[in-house]
This record gives sequence, structure tokens and C-alpha cells, in this order.
Amino acid sequence: MSKDFEQQLRDALRPVDPEKGFEQRVMARVASEPPRSRAKVTRWTASLALAASVAFAAIFGAQQWREHREEQGLEARKQLLEALRLTGEKLDLAYLAVNRESPPPDDGSGA
Amino acid sequence: MKASEACSPDELLTRASAGESAAFAALVLRYQRTVYSIALRMLSDRHRAEDLAQEVFLQLYRSLESIDSDAHLAFWLRKVAMNRAIDRIRQEARYGNEPLTEAAAVIDESGETDPLLERRMAELVAQLPPAARAVVVLRYQEDLDPVDIANTLDMPINTVKSHLKRSLSSLRARMLGAAIVDDIQPNMGEPSR
Repeated sequence: MSKDFEQQLRDALRPVDPEKGFEQRVMARVASEPPRSRAKVTRWTASLALAASVAFAAIFGAQQWREHREEQGLEARKQLLEALRLTGEKLDLAYLAVNRESPPPDDGSGA
Repeated sequence: MKASEACSPDELLTRASAGESAAFAALVLRYQRTVYSIALRMLSDRHRAEDLAQEVFLQLYRSLESIDSDAHLAFWLRKVAMNRAIDRIRQEARYGNEPLTEAAAVIDESGETDPLLERRMAELVAQLPPAARAVVVLRYQEDLDPVDIANTLDMPINTVKSHLKRSLSSLRARMLGAAIVDDIQPNMGEPSR
């Protein structure tokens, strides 16, 4: 135990090499993986496609919603005009009926 | 010309990230010793260490885009190797597998050091609890300072220091105990007069 204890520990834990051919064995396993560059491109493409789909859906949805609101506005306007037209007709009829039934006004001469 | 020749480590990383398999192979060659040694010291078994080291490099292959420099790569490999090793030790403990101690058999035969002493020391390190073993391996095998160990293991610096202090004290005591037993044992067979 004369040697410095920590140095003894370093000597005992000296890094060791794996068995020969380790690098080739790793590369053989790597070869069974999907190609890196293609995987990268595919990931990018998928991300871009997803982003484009979301943007398209948002724009299309907004357009549809605006058209729907416009249609609703036009329909409401049409209904209002129809209601006004009907009301006008009723008022005209009522006016005519009132005028027809009422006696001519007395002129006050007594004749 | 090989990918590792005339190429800085950062350049190798860039080329490997671009999908050049020769550059990735050069990275494996560069770091296989670090990753395999961590796995071996933690798992104490050559076959399981090789399997774990291969898995670490496969994970690296899938994560190359997230690594921005050679220093980051070294840090990443140590961290992933340690985390995977600790996970595997926990899984095996759950299923009741007995750890082997093959790591102790990996000793230097150069003659400059005492192989028996080294073997005993490696055996004692292999018997430390996983977290303490990880700290000792990173300190004395990878030569990291306590701050780097804390970052690698996501552990508070005081816990790292505490593990180091307690592990050293325990190892020293057990080595001393082993030395005393070794001194006594040769005489035990002789009849007393």
C-alpha cells in the first residue's frame, strides 16, 4: 500500500478496448437503420406538409366562414324585404278598406 | 483516404451528421474505448458491456443532429452510457440477476503495476452501489472533476463529493483488510507450535 491509493485506483480502472471488430459490428447494426439523410429529409418534408395542411385548412376555413356569413346576411336581407313588402301590401289593403267603408264627410250645409 | 485522417473531431461530427457513414465509423473508433470501458466497469460483463456500448452508438446515430461539438459528443456519450448502464443494473436487480465480476479480470499485464492488487481493486469497485460506482468510474477512469461528474449524472455536486469520499474510504478500508488477510492466510495452514 505504499503507492498513492488514488493512483492505484486509476491503474485498476484503466480504460480498455472492446474486442476486435467492434466498430464493424456497430456499423452493421447502423446499416439496418433507415438512411440518415433520407430520414432527415422525410422528417422535414413531413413537418412542411403538416404546416402547409394546417395553413390551408385555416385559410379555407376562414373563407368558408366568410361566405357562410355573407349568405346568411343576404338571406336575412331578403327576408326583411319580403316582410316589408307584405306589410306594405297589408297596409294598402287596410287603407283601401277603411276608405271604402267610411261615409263621405258631412259638409255641414244641411241640404 | 480514411474519414478519420486529416479531419478534426468537429469536422468528423459535421460529416457524420450529413450522413457520411465513414465519418460515423471514425467517431465510433474514436470513442469506443470510453463507452465500452464505462459499460464494462458498470456491468462487469464483457458481452453485456459490448451490447450496451453498441446500443449507445446506435442511439448516437439517431441523435447526431442534436450534438454540436466534439466536447458535447464526449459528454453525451458518457451520460448516455452511464444512464443506460444504471437502468440495466436496476432492471436486472428487479429480476434477480446476479452481477458478474468479469471487469476485475481486465488488468494490465505490463509489469509496471501489481496485477493482483489491481484485480482486487476492480472487484471492490464492482461491488459498490451503482450510483457510487458511477461516480468512482467517472472520476478515476474518465478523469472527470466533480463538477463534470455532477453534470454527467445529473447529481448535486455535494452528493458527488460525498460518494467520492465514502467510496474511497470504503475501498481503502477493504483493501487494507484484504492485505491483512493475505498476510495472515499463508501462515494459517501451518500447525502452531
